[in-house]
Amino acid sequence: MFKEITLGQYYQTDSVLHRLDPRVKLIATFAYIIALFIVDNFWGYAVAAVFLILCIRLSNVPFRYIVRGMKGILMILMITVIFNLFLTPGETLVQVWKLRITREGVVFAVKMAVRLSFLILGSSLMTLTTTPNQLTDALESVMNPLKKLHVPVHEIAMMMSIALRFIPILMEETDKIMKAQIARGADFESKDLMKKIRSLVPLLVPLFISAFRRANDLAMAMEARCYRGGDGRTRMKPLVYTAKDRIAYSVVICFFLLCILTRVLL
Amino acid sequence: MKMITLKNLVHDYITRDDEGNAVGSKRAVNDVSLDVEPGQFIAILGHNGSGKSTLAKHLNALLYPTEGEVWLDGMNTKAEEHLWDIRQEAGMIFQNPDNQIIGQVVEEDVGFGPENMGVPTKEIWERVEESLKAVGMWEYRKKSPNRLSGGQKQRVSIAGVIAMHPKCIIMDEPTAMLDPNGRKDVIRAARALNDVERITIILITHYMEEAIYADKIFVMDKGKIALQGSPEEIFSHVEEMKKLHLDVPQVTLLAHELHKKGVKVPEGILTKEELAKALPDAASLSEKEQAKTDPGKASDSDFEENSKTQSAENGSGEAADQSGLRIEDISFEYERGTAMSVNALDHISLTIPENQFIGLIGHTGSGKSTFVQMLNGLLKPTEGSIYYNGQNIHADNYDRKNLRSEVGLVFQYPEHQLFETDVISDVMFGPRNLGLPEEECRSRALQALQQVGLQEQFYTQSPFDLSGGQKRRAAIAGVLAMHPRILILDEPTAGLDPRGRDEILDLISRMHKELKITVVLVSHSMEDVAKYVDRILVMDHGRIRYDDIPVRVFSHIAELEEMGLAAPQMTYIMQYLHQKGYPVNTNILTVEEGVREILKAV
Repeated sequence: MFKEITLGQYYQTDSVLHRLDPRVKLIATFAYIIALFIVDNFWGYAVAAVFLILCIRLSNVPFRYIVRGMKGILMILMITVIFNLFLTPGETLVQVWKLRITREGVVFAVKMAVRLSFLILGSSLMTLTTTPNQLTDALESVMNPLKKLHVPVHEIAMMMSIALRFIPILMEETDKIMKAQIARGADFESKDLMKKIRSLVPLLVPLFISAFRRANDLAMAMEARCYRGGDGRTRMKPLVYTAKDRIAYSVVICFFLLCILTRVLL
Repeated sequence: MKMITLKNLVHDYITRDDEGNAVGSKRAVNDVSLDVEPGQFIAILGHNGSGKSTLAKHLNALLYPTEGEVWLDGMNTKAEEHLWDIRQEAGMIFQNPDNQIIGQVVEEDVGFGPENMGVPTKEIWERVEESLKAVGMWEYRKKSPNRLSGGQKQRVSIAGVIAMHPKCIIMDEPTAMLDPNGRKDVIRAARALNDVERITIILITHYMEEAIYADKIFVMDKGKIALQGSPEEIFSHVEEMKKLHLDVPQVTLLAHELHKKGVKVPEGILTKEELAKALPDAASLSEKEQAKTDPGKASDSDFEENSKTQSAENGSGEAADQSGLRIEDISFEYERGTAMSVNALDHISLTIPENQFIGLIGHTGSGKSTFVQMLNGLLKPTEGSIYYNGQNIHADNYDRKNLRSEVGLVFQYPEHQLFETDVISDVMFGPRNLGLPEEECRSRALQALQQVGLQEQFYTQSPFDLSGGQKRRAAIAGVLAMHPRILILDEPTAGLDPRGRDEILDLISRMHKELKITVVLVSHSMEDVAKYVDRILVMDHGRIRYDDIPVRVFSHIAELEEMGLAAPQMTYIMQYLHQKGYPVNTNILTVEEGVREILKAV
């Protein structure tokens, strides 16, 4: 039942984007999101759209696959659009009973929809082309300066990567326990809220116990393999910038400047 | 220098209260001394709770001795300065394949150990490559571990240990959660490392056929070493092994039984080849036999007749009444309509009448689990229908809750679904869901707990304080309390030791006889299926390939092997003897039948 979530799940193929240093992709995504909130006119959005389309083409991920992942958040998108459409004050275009659609509302709703979908497409493009492990490596490396402030950067990254590894396993386990309890007559579809909460006990207790058992096992397995924290560790896949990463950075900077220009000049 | 030396090792587990004061202690390992030479293949046997795993954890300093000493390659495990050297030299493989893989890609997991040791990047890659190649997992290096089978995951874990260049690998029941093919692959990998790289292997296992390759076996009981010696020596003590609740390989048991009956074969026979050599010469026998009837032919017609009556019985049951489950041409696709669609079930039709003991076999991924979830309506077939007592279970107004009480389903590792504060409340969960009065729930729970043979002292205990076998029985009681007419058990013996396995199987067989319920037993063990059931369903690629009595099914050895299955060990033994010219029938499934057949021949 949880297997349908494809949004942002790593898509295995080979492409320029896949081979880029994950730090580049992380920082570029960040820059892209900021840029989306800087641009404010047609040309700005056009630049953002072209950039996004180029990136998607470069990623070798089928466009349909990316869009299918967006289905899950379509609801959120719709709600935002509808709210903006009806609740923005301004010059009335259509009025039905008390509901007013204003010119400003339409413009704002369209902008919002475009921004949000670009934002989601952009960030899911990052996770689609970057393995979670690379991503945690990148985060660890980008956040490294925080170590001076005694932020346990390595530990956080390790925790994230373990969490990512075990999420599918625990999802499957949830499914299994749920079925086992349904086979014992449990009802997870009750409409009554209190009943619904109570029905979660037979699901959550075994799930927590299993998670603890796994954590215990894993800690022991890691110790047995000489894990002792981040100090003195080498890396199998160290992050090293190459020429293409530098080119990518320049492209991103150009894009960012272009976005600012559209805002300032047009 | 010795690889491993234990000197009077004692280990106590200390239980503490909330403030950290010691309130009790349990001795898990009691005064064990032993030596292991470099390059040896050692097997450690023993039932659950005999102290094997505790012993294993001492060998790479995951635990420290309460008393005594552990030396690994000249290093005392107590010496802190050697801790990381010890863990690098003595790698460890654990039971659960999922819980010891850290990386999200196979190659990254294998690199995890060397990374921790501070090996330079270039060398890590070399080590990862050689290790993955050594266990035959090189082609999978880019895969996510979640996409691998259990046996493949264990081999990745072994590669992860080899990449640390250990001198010794300790494997703590590495095959307990695997299917037979996964088991074979893991053991093959372990033996290859021992043969080729001369890595010392310590294998802890419940499967006796894995122990016969060892140079030396230690048998543990109550924290002590009860027996030690070569496999021949250990397995010639059949009675003692039984007393320790352990198995011996079936061929060993067969030789032992024959020996008891006065046939001149030595004890401690480990292979069918040895047995054939030890038995009186085949040539002299066949002359005698020739005078009588041709044995092969006689038995064939015998067996034809047998199966005919059996299938006739099945047929009449179907026609006469509607009781039980009738499955009509069902198919099931996962992720229907997408590119990932998988045909899990492919046009299956059959009936499951009342009061039958059915075995369901098939390799991992053949559709068994999907199929059993159809039977109580947990999954809905994409095509076809299922009828229980003549009614379509997916009709709109059908009471599926009631169906689930009539068709009980015990999942794999059912103890993982326990959740209540005490055992009896947990067993009452099912009856309560049926909306029965509290008194009725309690009496049903008590009855179910008695049926599974759990003593009264446990009823008020937390289910999490029980032993593995007891937990499983409590979980089975939870389904029994719903008073099912059909009970489906998905690998109920997985991960149990021989004693736990026998107890659960005897329990199931008793319930079938006494409560007159139909049992569907999903199993990977052909020996168990052959011993208990009276009808076997063989699944392969979502289809039922055979639906027949055991002897008939197991006469298709070649086809079964093609599906990744096998016949019971006894069948192979008898076939081998037959090939060697012994006038024996090959349709033999159990040791008792085998003894009788060989006695007839010699």
